[in-house]
This record gives sequence, structure tokens and C-alpha cells, in this order.
Amino acid sequence: MKKQLLKITIVLIASIQMVACTKSETITTPVVTVSTKVVKDLIADTVLGIAANGMPYSAGKYTFYSIENNEIVPNTDSASAKWDLAFMSTRILTNGGTSGPALGGGFIFTGLFDDLKTISADSIFKTDNAPTYAITAGSGKGWYTYDQLTSLITPLAGRVLVIRTASGKYAKLEITSYYKGGVTLPVSASDAEKLTKQRYYNFRYTYQANGSKTF
Amino acid sequence: MVFLMFELCGSMFKKFLILSFIFPQCLWGQVYFVKDTLSAAGDSVVVTATRSERKLSNLTVPVTLINAQTIQQTGSIRLTDILKEQTGLTMTSGFGAGVQLQGLNPDYTIILINGEPLVGRTAGVLDLNRIALGNIKKIEIVKGPSSSLYGSEAMAGVINIITDASNKTPLEASLRMGTYNTKDINLNNGIHSKCIFYQGFYNYYSTDGYSIRPNSNNRITTPINRLATSQQFKLNLTDHANILLNTRLTDETIKSNIAVSNGGVTINSNGKEHNTDANISATLNYRFTPTFKTSFRSYLTNYISKQELLTISGAPYNDLLNHLFKRLENQTDWALSKKLNGIFGMGAVWEGVKSSRYDSEKLRKENTIQYGFTQWEWTPSSKLIMIGGARFDKNATYASAWSPKLSMLYKMNSFHKIRLSIGQGFKAPDFRQLYLNFTNAAAGNYSVFGSAEAQIVISQLNNLGQIGGLYNNYFLLKALQPESSTGMHLSWEWTPNGKTFFSAQLFRNDITNLIEVQQVGTYISGAQIFSYLNIGRAFTQGLELEFKQNINNHIVFSGGYQYLETGDKDQIAQIQAGTVYTRNTNNVSARLTMSDYVGLPNVSKHKSQFKINYNNEKGVFANLRILYRSKWAVNNTNGNQVYDNGDDFAQSYYTLHTAFGKEFQHGIALQLGCDNINNYIDALHLPNVAGRTYFINLKYQIKQKPQK
Repeated sequence: MKKQLLKITIVLIASIQMVACTKSETITTPVVTVSTKVVKDLIADTVLGIAANGMPYSAGKYTFYSIENNEIVPNTDSASAKWDLAFMSTRILTNGGTSGPALGGGFIFTGLFDDLKTISADSIFKTDNAPTYAITAGSGKGWYTYDQLTSLITPLAGRVLVIRTASGKYAKLEITSYYKGGVTLPVSASDAEKLTKQRYYNFRYTYQANGSKTF
Repeated sequence: MVFLMFELCGSMFKKFLILSFIFPQCLWGQVYFVKDTLSAAGDSVVVTATRSERKLSNLTVPVTLINAQTIQQTGSIRLTDILKEQTGLTMTSGFGAGVQLQGLNPDYTIILINGEPLVGRTAGVLDLNRIALGNIKKIEIVKGPSSSLYGSEAMAGVINIITDASNKTPLEASLRMGTYNTKDINLNNGIHSKCIFYQGFYNYYSTDGYSIRPNSNNRITTPINRLATSQQFKLNLTDHANILLNTRLTDETIKSNIAVSNGGVTINSNGKEHNTDANISATLNYRFTPTFKTSFRSYLTNYISKQELLTISGAPYNDLLNHLFKRLENQTDWALSKKLNGIFGMGAVWEGVKSSRYDSEKLRKENTIQYGFTQWEWTPSSKLIMIGGARFDKNATYASAWSPKLSMLYKMNSFHKIRLSIGQGFKAPDFRQLYLNFTNAAAGNYSVFGSAEAQIVISQLNNLGQIGGLYNNYFLLKALQPESSTGMHLSWEWTPNGKTFFSAQLFRNDITNLIEVQQVGTYISGAQIFSYLNIGRAFTQGLELEFKQNINNHIVFSGGYQYLETGDKDQIAQIQAGTVYTRNTNNVSARLTMSDYVGLPNVSKHKSQFKINYNNEKGVFANLRILYRSKWAVNNTNGNQVYDNGDDFAQSYYTLHTAFGKEFQHGIALQLGCDNINNYIDALHLPNVAGRTYFINLKYQIKQKPQK
């Protein structure tokens, strides 16, 4: 069954590529295809400086993002259905529940991004209910781990954020780095560098615009 | 001036010696032991492997023997100095200097002094810097599970430090000065008659410590003052009986000034740590017939550690650990025939710990153990020795343990020997795992409760409405089982001539019931609650090679190598099931494959050492030693709970050491040395390795007058 599915996918991908290669616009594709987008260095309330008490400070503002349109949404639209995800340091909101007015929700899938081809029917989507969130917060509990020894935040491998967007469609998302340039800093990096280069989200995602749970 | 004083002392002791001859003369000059049944000329005697005196060449299990000359010529002053130069042993840092034996953590090796265990472990580690080497006759290291003779902790092996009660040196004094204002002063004195032996040992050690972190005032090794003394008496009552009395006291004060800087704000803390380790033992040996003897041993030890930390802001932090251990034991040796020797033993242990990390530091948590053991040695021919033994430990506060062991030696001919041993070892749950009651207010208010009290404490909290949720692990909490291992050692020894020695050893340990910290629930606030469960399974396996080659009468080459593989069996099962992930070079998640799995942390795959020794008749000696250790995993940075190639490693390294010296006339000896000549430093992973250090050691010894 799995092998068959794989074959079908390969055929599909092959046909998509062929389609992409043909310049003719007369061919109407019967299959709605999905593509994987890569987002680099999305700022999520970066550290502005060190306060007198020794603690880092920042503006304390979310960055709102539209998965559907692959763009940042202005903060003035925070009460709308224009955004799907909001980022502030390690916290990620979905547009629903206590976080927003729309249909958003999600959960964290354990497995590989490429292996998640269909969101299984029995999956339970959670909605934000502060202080708990659909995308579970906390080191080792959700999508990242914080190392007290090295002060580094590393996205957990094999975790896929399954997102229900503001309009009730589905996406899968994998965070690849929390640091500027997409490169997790070496353990030996200075404390200052570890502070100033963090809170830059690097991720890839696949959005299914037709409303189905299959990517 | 100093020497003059020593001379004076010496003459006083000489008078005492003469006086002591007035005491009734005893006929019997040495302890009787059931004799070795095989003849092997000119080799050393080992007691740890069989709990009876056996020649090294007749042992059925792998043993490393370190003699006093080796200790002196390498310039070793603490136990750690000499253990790090042995094949299969690796020093660890964190909670003091511990020793990892064939890949197993310091928790799993029992440390004995004259056969009696040392107590006072912090997080399972017994700080080996506590042990001064100035009066040591030899160190015996038995590799492989030895619980069949020694009970708990003898899971990876046994390190037995043997001091010399019958040392006949009337007086020996030494002064050593080294880098970082390190001073080590030793005084040994001995008095003996035909029936009384006394040896006293005094050691003072102090160091300013050092800071090897750049731009840091914090000393990784903090200033230490340590005073150690031991007194040993041996009294030969009749030619059938003798009494041994040993006392030992180590007292150390460690000062630390810690400055924590965070964004320009510095918080200073002044810390003081005071540790006292006291032991006293009394033994009566009695021989009924030449083939039947018995000994009664009583032992008491107390380790008290107090830490005080004062910060300029916040409440002072105090920590207390007080471990009291008492033991009574009888051992009877019976040689039924020339081919069959038996040992029977039984004993009782009472121990208790008071700690500020338990519910009350005023209440002592207690445990009692009753045990019995037997061992049979059968020598069917001059080529074969077989030993079988077993021990049963009945514990009051956790499950009991059986420890069988079988071993054999086959002497193919005078050049080849084969040894095979299979045994079970165990480590009892320690008091921390049973009784810890600790909430970390500094880091999120999480709590850890020892398994013996976790369910009671948590249900009380639940009644108070403090508990947010209970995990399945909570319902699995029960009396902890001892951690246990099954070990197998197979070795081949080749001595083609008197100048060459070669040995190869294969070993494998399978460990079950490892006690691990697991989350059992959460508070209402979401803070985690942890306790201890028997869940882990692991293995260690590898190969050890050792050689020694006498080039001529003066020069000896020797070396050793260990190849080591380790793994957590549950993690391996997960990796094979494809449920463990890592990141590839593009930061994209991928399944972890076994080829990227590195096994247990803090374990190096390769470790080796190589030594050249020079000695001549004129009392001149010199040596050069190289120690190598390959990289080891220290930190699971990618958060997949498994140590793999995507994690943080300490780099492989080597260090070079040398020492040389000469014995002059009139008992004066001078030694110079340099450790870590290549100045290797890794402040993060090897805090115990200082940079290059030098030392000079001056020794004066009154030689024993030849007796008639």
C-alpha cells in the first residue's frame, strides 16, 4: 500500500515537473498540486538589548504570518482572519481560540515532513487556550529544546507542525532553525551572539489550498 | 634544618625500637594464609580477586596490579593520578573525580581501602582525590562483576587500595612543591618488634587551584587544604592469632569564590565546603589448623560533607550530607584438600544517611543488609583452576540480590594462559534514589522525589490540590530493584620469555534495571515532578590490549589500548524502529541511522597509553608517558534524547608526562617532573586537567637496619 502510494507520488511529481517544463498554457491540470515554500529569517521579536538587570529585552510583539499568501501580515490586522500563524520568541500562535477570531488550530506530528502525506482522520486539532497553545510551548515538549548549558535553542528533529489555517485549510510546516541565516550557532559562540542572532525562524511548509488533508 | 629535625626523630624512634624488644617475644612473624596450591615463582600476591592471598599468575579473573614503585616514579600523589594511566580506566569530572571502568560510570566500581568500602558519594561519584597515595603498598584493580564477593557497587569492578601495616621503614618524609602553589607533605613512621607492627601516616596537601577558562576569575579547581592521616597496628598474639587495627581520617576544606556575570551585572558568591572522611576497622585473624582459619572484621566509617554558599543577594545555600556505615563480617577459609579450597562468609551492614535534600536533615534514612557468600576453588590439575562462588544480599529497603560468579584459568603451557569469567554484579539503589525530596526553586520549581517516598508525598500533595496530573510512570513506582549486570571476560596472556608480556582481553557487560529519572506527574502550575524507576537497559563491550617489553636491564616499554562500544538497548530499539530523528546538513529532519549512533555519553571509543621507563643500579630513574583519549559525547544538543553524531563532543586529546629522579646516599632522594607537557586544555569538558604543571619532590628515608 505504502509502496503504491509512493509510486503514485513519484508519477505525480514527474507529471508536475513535465507540466512545469512545458510552456504551453493550454493544458489544464486536473490535479491541484502543492508546493513547498521556504521561509528564511522570519523575525520573531528579536532581542533589542540587555537591560540593567542583566536580562535581555525586546519589543514584546508578535510577527503575524499568512500561510496562504506566504507573507507577513501587519500587526494592525491581528484581530482579523488575514493571518494563520504568529511568532514571538519560541511561542507560536494559531488564529483561533484565545489567540484570534478565525478557524485556526494545529498539533505537532512526530515523524518526517516528507512522510506526512495525509493528515490522518483521527488527528485531534487543538486550538489556543492561553496559557496552553495548539503548538505546545516549552523546552522538549513541543517543537524545540533549550539547552541550559549552552543557552542554545534547537528545533527538535522529526517534528512537523500541522496547521489549520484561519480559513480552515491545512498546511504542514517544519522549523529548521531558530537562528539568523538558518545556522544554529556553535556551542562556543559568545553569549552576545547567542542572544542577538536568535528568534529568526527558518522553516519550510506545504499548504493545501483545496481544503483536503492530503499534501 | 628540616633534615636535622628528621634525624632527631629518627634517633628517638630507634630508642623506641630498642624498648619494644623488651615486650614478650612472639614466635610468629607473619599472618598465616591458606597457601596457594600452584607454584609460581617470583610473582606478586593479590588478595582482592579471591578474598585470599593468591599469586597474580594463578588468578582466574583479570587483575591490574599497581605497585608502590610505579606510584612513586610517576610522581602520583592522589589516587586519580595513577588510575588515569591504566588501561580500561578513564577519569570523569563532575561531583569530584570519579573513575569509569570499561565504560561503566563511577557509580559501579566499589572503592576499598584494605578491603573495607569507602562511602560518601555525590550523585554516585566518590571523589578519588580524597585518597592520598603516600603510604600505599599496592593498588589492585579487578575488572568485571565482583558482587559475588563484595556485594553492591562491585558491578564494573573493584579497586582495592592496600596500605602496608608491616612496612619496616622507621621514618620516611617527603616534601613536594608544584605549580599553582601545590604542596604535598608526607610523613610515614613505623615501629615494629616481632609481634607488634605500627605504621603511622600523615599527609598535608594544599593547592591554590587554578583557572583555565580565559577571561574568568573563577577557579575551576578551587583552593583546597587537605589533611590525611592513618594509623595501623598489627599485633601478633600467638602464632595462631593476630589483631589488626586501622584508622584513617581525611579532612578537607575547599574554598570557592564564584562570580557570575550576566550583562555586566556580577553576583559574587563565597562558598566553603568541608568534608570529613573517617574510618576505623578492627580485625581478628585466627588459625585453627594449617588448613582452617577464620577472621572477624568490624568496620565503621562516616563521611560528612557540609557546603555553605553565601551570595551578596539572596538567602545562603547550605547543603549537608552525612553517611554512616557500619559492618560486621566473618570469613572462614578452609582447605579441604590440596585440590579444593573453600571460603564462607557472612555479615551485616547498617547504614544511614542524613541530607538536607531529604524531607528533614535531622532524620537519618536507614538501610540494613544481611549477606552471606561462599566461594570454591578447585584445582584438578596443574594446568587448570576453576572458581565458583555466590553471594546473597538481603536488603531491608529494596529488593534482595543474588550474585553468582564462575571463573577459570587454563595454563596451556608456560607461555600461554587463558582466563574466562562470567559473573553477575549489582548496585543497590542509593539513598538519593530512595529518599531525595528536592524542589529546585532556582529553575522552575520542579521536584524530584525518591522512589521510596514519591507515592506518599505526591498523594499528600494531591490531597492538598497541588497536583495537576499524574503520568503512567506514577503508577509504576514500586520498590526499586538493584541495577544489575552480567559480565563476561575472556583473556589470553602470552609470556614467551622473561622479557615480554602480552595480553588481550575481550569483555561484555549487559546491564538491566538501570535506575533513571522519569517524570511521574505535574503540579497545577505545570512544573514537573520526577522520581526514579528501573527502566534502562544498556551494554558495554570491547577489547583491551596490554604489553610490556624489557629492552635491556634498564629500559622497559609498556602500553595499553582499549576499544570500547556502548549503547542503550532501548534507544537502539527505537532507532531500529525508525522513531528517532536527527538533522541532516541542510537542517532537514531525517531518521537517525545506527551508523550515527554513538552510544552512552562520556565514553570514548579509543583510549591508550604508552610508557618508557628507565632504571639503573645507581638509583637513577626516568619515565615518559603518553596518554590518549578519543572524542566523547557530552551533550545531547539536538534534543532527540539519543547521543549521535549531531551532538556536542569533547575533542580527542593526548597528554605527555615525565618524571625523573635519583636516590642519593643517606636515604635522600630527589625527583622532578612535568605533567601535561603539551599543555592541553579543555576547560569545558576537562576541568580536572590543568595546563602544564611542574613539581619537585624531596624525600628522606631512614633505611631499616639489617636484622639478625
